[in-house]
Formats: sequence, structure tokens, C-alpha cells
Amino acid sequence: MFARRSDLPLDKDALSRFLPWLIAFMVFLAILAMAGMLVLNATASRWDQGIRSTLTVQIMPAEDPAKDDERLQAVLSVLAQLPEIDRYETLTDDRLMKLLEPWLGPAAGSRDLPLPRLVDVELKTGAVLNAEVLSRQLAALVPGTSVDDHRIWLKRLVRLIQTVEGLATLVLAFIALATVGTVVFTTRTGLDIHREAIEILHLIGAQDSYVAGQFASRAFSLGLKGGFFGLLLAVPTLLGIGYLAQQMDSNLLPEITLGPVHWSVLAGLPLVVSLIAMVTARITVMKTLSRML
Amino acid sequence: MTTDDSETIVRFENVGLRYGLGPEVLQDVTFSLAAGSFHFLVGDSGAGKSSLLKLIYLALKPSRGLISLFGRDIATTPRRELPAMRRRVGVVFQEFRLLNHLSAFDNVALPLRIAGVRKSDIQKHVVELLSWVGLKDHLDARPPTLSGGQQQRVSIARAVISRPKLLLADEPTGNVDDRMAMRLLHLFEELNKLGTTVIIATHNSHLVEKMGFPKMHLDEGWMEIVGADTDRASVPPASEPGPGGGLFDDGEEDEIRPDLEKLF
Ligand SMILES: Nc1ncnc2c1ncn2[C@@H]1O[C@H](COP(=O)(O)OP(=O)(O)OP(=O)(O)O)[C@@H](O)[C@H]1O
Ligand SMILES: [Mg+2]
Repeated sequence: MFARRSDLPLDKDALSRFLPWLIAFMVFLAILAMAGMLVLNATASRWDQGIRSTLTVQIMPAEDPAKDDERLQAVLSVLAQLPEIDRYETLTDDRLMKLLEPWLGPAAGSRDLPLPRLVDVELKTGAVLNAEVLSRQLAALVPGTSVDDHRIWLKRLVRLIQTVEGLATLVLAFIALATVGTVVFTTRTGLDIHREAIEILHLIGAQDSYVAGQFASRAFSLGLKGGFFGLLLAVPTLLGIGYLAQQMDSNLLPEITLGPVHWSVLAGLPLVVSLIAMVTARITVMKTLSRML
Repeated sequence: MTTDDSETIVRFENVGLRYGLGPEVLQDVTFSLAAGSFHFLVGDSGAGKSSLLKLIYLALKPSRGLISLFGRDIATTPRRELPAMRRRVGVVFQEFRLLNHLSAFDNVALPLRIAGVRKSDIQKHVVELLSWVGLKDHLDARPPTLSGGQQQRVSIARAVISRPKLLLADEPTGNVDDRMAMRLLHLFEELNKLGTTVIIATHNSHLVEKMGFPKMHLDEGWMEIVGADTDRASVPPASEPGPGGGLFDDGEEDEIRPDLEKLF
């Protein structure tokens, strides 16, 4: 396909010089937007799964700190009887401190602060437990106890992710449009530049599709060239962003990674953009030529 | 003159042509050419010879009148069917119209490629034909590096390579010496013997008289056909020397007349 001889001196016109750069830029942007979307998607579903099967029981500190342990044991004995629960674990003070440190600073280390007790509950796979019912049940037994199933947190997160995903989709659509527009413009220019040669081809008996094929395969190979370059630029950028994300506190951010499937989707983008360029060039030429004799 | 459409290659009926709002370059041109005929198209410079040929090779639409090609009214022929008709017409343009970025070889091969002929078949024909018109050493030359006469010969080779049903040559010998002119005319003549209908526009009355084919004479937009009748009778019998045969003694005949079976 690339070795195909061209009857038109297409490689010497603006189309050839201008298009690969633009496509490189488009593909670069498209890959970043797409990568963002994929990461969010993967992260959201990972969070979603993790959160759906866990609950956190919070027992507020009592007036009398001596009673805290008793209250905890009361709650644990209820949890132990529930068949939906796979296992539960009381957070040690050390872990609690660690969780609080980013907010409270080293001050959290002083044991003077009355801290709630937290119990991590993991449900059996597929099991459903109504957090509100459990919350009421426990609160009746041990006042100041609440159960959090992270639903509100999850809802907000999902809404945020959906918004960002919508934006990314918009960016992708915009990039596709810009690519189409660019190819239409450069193809029209090319048709103008090569008007004489195209007329000769016509007079010799060439079909419109013959001429269009030359423009289309040219646009495709230029698209691939530019797209590959865009990919080459995007990969280090993504790796850099990934590295920076890893440097941030991993307690706050879930793990951000792209799997092999994601990478191959991203690597396919130059091809997709090239195909868009090819089809666009073909349609543009066919349309323009149909007005010629 | 035959009225049978299947035998008529080109038919004009009251054709008029004007460029934009200008005067009519052609007025009420009416004629029909039988398959296998050979005509010279003569007239002063600016008489409208090229314009008439452009109408036939579908580069222009007439302002009025009817043109039919291979028995089909071109006004009612769908656009997508025109390429197939054009492939049956070989054209030598007055200003050559070669593709400057392609080699002589590729220019001549173009009609075959467009028609989808296999690569292996193209190679041999193109080289032989270019050799015959004396361009064996210029196969890879781009048109801008060739002389006018050489470009003209490339253009002729491109026009005849696919053995068209109809050959239109606009001043095809204007840039070559008389000897080469005769050689090229004989190529057209041999093609004609094999059934190609030929129209040659030229100023060279010397050649026209020597060849003795009928003339389509254009004068101020009007056309009349003079000399011989337009039918097959104008094709010289293959066994006898054609009207142009007397130009050369027998020794020269062989080298100057192409063996078309070998060329195509
Ligand atoms: N594209 C054009 N636009 C306007 N007028 C044109 C155009 N082409 C040709 N003409 C006019 O049409 C007339 C016939 O031109 P044409 O080229 O057919 O003459 P010709 O017989 O081929 O002349 P020559 O022997 O010099 O080649 C001329 O008066 C010319 O000025
Ligand atoms: Mg002329």
C-alpha cells in the first residue's frame, strides 16, 4: 500500500508537508484524552468493586474512655453473628494514626486525642447487607455507633468521573472533527494544485475512484506517519505522568496503571486517525470531481 | 455515408460551440464518421480544429446540437460511464499534456494502468512502442528534459498504446522532421488498417496531399468534408500500397512501417 506509485506528484505539495504534523498533534492529544478516560474507567470500577463489598463501622469514643473496649466488644459480637460477613478487623491505633497523619500532622501521635474505633468489615462475595438497618441495630445496642457503606462518597466519585469522561469524549470528538476538517482542506488544496494532471487522467479514461484512491492512500500513509510520531511523543508523556502519580501519596490515590489492553487501544489510535484521514480524502475527492466534466 | 449507428463512430448534428459569451467558434457542424475511416482535419490557425477535437474527446460540452460517440448520445450518457468511452479514444494533444513528474515510460504506460492491465504485459508493449518512435534511450526521461519532438512522440505513444477505437491527433507532426512525420503517419495508417478510426488535425498540407485521405475543412466555424467519400472506401486495401506508399522506395518501406502485431 505504501509502495504504491502515484500518478500525481502529491508528495511535493502542501498536503504532504502540513498534514503529518497536524495529525501527529491530533494523535498526541487523542492519546492523552483516551488514556485519561481509560485510567478513570479502570479506577472507578476498581473502587466501585472494593467499596461495594466493604463497610466501615465507627464507634465514637465514650465519655469514660474505660468503657471503649466494652463497647467495641459488644459491636464485634453482633458482627460475628451476621452470615453475610466474611471477616472483620479492628483497626489498630497505629494504623488509625497513619490514616489521620496527613490531616492532623504529628499531633495525631499524641494519645491524648479521643479517637473513634474503626472496624473494617468485608462482606462475602455477592452478599448484600443494608448498612442503614445494621447501623440502627448497632446504635440501639451501643449509642454513638454508625455504619458507613461509602455510598455517598461513591456517588460523588462516580459523578466526578462521569463528568471527566464526558469531557474526554468531547475532546476526542473534537479531535476527530478537526482531523476531518484538516484533511478536507488539504485535499481540496491538493485537487486545485493538481487540476491539470487530474484532467489529463480523466481524459485518458481514469475513473473518479482512481484519482480518489491516490489521494486516499496518500492521506492514509501521511496519517500513519504523523500518527506514529504523535504516539512516539505521547508515550513518554504518559509514562511521565504515571511516574509523577506514583510519587504522590498512594493512600489517597488508588493505583493508576494502564494495562496491556489499554496500551494496545492507545497504540491503535494512529491507525484510527489515519483511516479517518483516508476516508475523508476519498469522499472529498469524489465529491469535488463529480462536479467536473 | 452510413446511417447505421453501430457503424458510426462519431456523429455531429448542428453542433455549435462558444466559449463563455464569445462568438460561436463552431457553427452548425454536421457530419458522421464511419468506423475505420481516416480523415485529416484542416483549416487556418484559430479555425476551431482543436475545439472540434475537444468536443469529440469529451473535454468540452457543445453549446447546442447533438454529439454521439460510438452510437451513444453523450448528453444523456451518465457521467460514470464516460471513462469507459474515453478509454476507447486515444488523443494526441496539441500541447502534449504529458505528466511532467512521470518518466516517458510511465506516461505511456498510464492508459494501460488505468485500464487495469497487468504489469508484466505493460512492460513489453511500452518499451517496444517507445523504441519504435525512436525513444529507446529515453525511457526514464521526464518530459521537461525532452525536446518538443520527443515529447510529441511520447504523447503519440500514449495515445496509441491501448489500440483505441478512435484516434484523435491534434497537430501530431508539428515538431518533428518530415521523415519522422512520415513514420508517425504510417503508424496511424497501420492502426487505421486494423480498424481504428483516425482524425488528424494538421497545418501540413504537403503531408495531407501526399497521403490522399479525405479532409474535414474548417473555415470560420463551418465545416465541410472534401475529397473522397467518407466511407470505408477511404481505407486503402491492405494488399496494395496505400496512398502514402509512393513516398518511399521499397527498401525504406519495411523500416518505416510498423509491424503492429509485434508492437501491440
Ligand atoms: N479556452 C478558450 N477560451 C476562449 N476561447 C477559446 C478557447 N480555446 C479556443 N478559443 C478560441 O476558439 C477559436 C478556435 O480555437 P482552436 O484552438 O480550436 O483553433 P485551432 O484551429 O486549433 O488553431 P491552431 O491551428 O492554431 O491550433 C479561436 O478563436 C480561439 O481564440
Ligand atoms: Mg489547435
